[in-house]
Amino acid sequence: MNLKLLILIPAYNEAENIERVVTHLTENYPQYDYVVINDGSTDATRKICARNQYHFLDLPLNLGLSGAIKGGMRYANYYGYDYVLQLDGDGQHDPRYIEDMVREMEKTNCDIVIGSRFKEENKPFSSRMIGSQILTAAIWVTTRGSYISDVTSGMRLFNKKMIKRFGYDMHYGPEPDTLAYLLNCGIQIREVPVQMHERIAGTSYLDFKNSVWYMMKMLFSILLFQWFRK
Amino acid sequence: MSDTLRILLFFSALATGGWILYKIRKLQVKMQDAIFWVVFAIILFVMGVFPKICYWLTDLLGIMSPANLIFLVVIFLLMEKVFTLSIIVSQLEEKVSILSIELALRSNGERRNGDRLKEENRDQKGKEDEKHLEGNV
Repeated sequence: MNLKLLILIPAYNEAENIERVVTHLTENYPQYDYVVINDGSTDATRKICARNQYHFLDLPLNLGLSGAIKGGMRYANYYGYDYVLQLDGDGQHDPRYIEDMVREMEKTNCDIVIGSRFKEENKPFSSRMIGSQILTAAIWVTTRGSYISDVTSGMRLFNKKMIKRFGYDMHYGPEPDTLAYLLNCGIQIREVPVQMHERIAGTSYLDFKNSVWYMMKMLFSILLFQWFRK
Repeated sequence: MSDTLRILLFFSALATGGWILYKIRKLQVKMQDAIFWVVFAIILFVMGVFPKICYWLTDLLGIMSPANLIFLVVIFLLMEKVFTLSIIVSQLEEKVSILSIELALRSNGERRNGDRLKEENRDQKGKEDEKHLEGNV
């Protein structure tokens, strides 16, 4: 395979997971390059990366996921990568699906491939999945029928055009609202079924207050701002 | 509630909403920061177009006139904005100082690394020179 693919691993306080994730990558998938974006972690994440001499960008402040992704996209653009695969630092994503995703991208010539948990099975019933379904519905309505089953999946593959946009444009957060906007711009987005693991250690960022704020941001953005943004 | 006030509310709502959407388009404000102003515009709009809501609230809160209620609501919203902005500014100040500290730390680290490499090179060269001399003797 002759492609330049960068695996982008945003990590905020992932000291318990990052070693396992990167070791798994370097031992089993040495054909891919990777970079860890340490998003101003307050735990030992930076030390672990430095000690093991991982490829990593060390952000001095916590910028949040969109800042970390932006940093990674600029890194990819700087070193001339053709594809970027976003992989969470907590080990819930399995790199064995990367090949499927790249194949889908090359076959259909699309711009974004999402690793989807719900392509082949239904969403389980939980508050988180109700939120996910609301966003799916909002995208479906505003894009006149484009169906993305797993809008919040953190496993995504981007091509060169998307690397530039996500790295350099202000409104391009790695979130469902951007997907809706891109679909309306005529960008092709595909989904590939994947299985995800439960996170083994650490806690998720989305507690109740953050979830409410997140949903509000997304709905405002998808239903209203989308028609005015660039 | 006078018609003048209602017209004023209606047009300031449109202007606020239109302006913030324009700023989004010009990439001058993040979408999440625009939510406040959209909500603000909606509230002005509702108060201007449906004065019955104002009358009802005025009675409920025991305020003298609907105009006072409108001032109260606007002042309250602006106070909230000033409060959150003040918090954000002090967080930003803190971030700037952390940034400059980190920059200084890291450039110091790089300089030290460079010095160490230079010294190592010099030591190695010194040893080679000594060997060379010994060879000559």
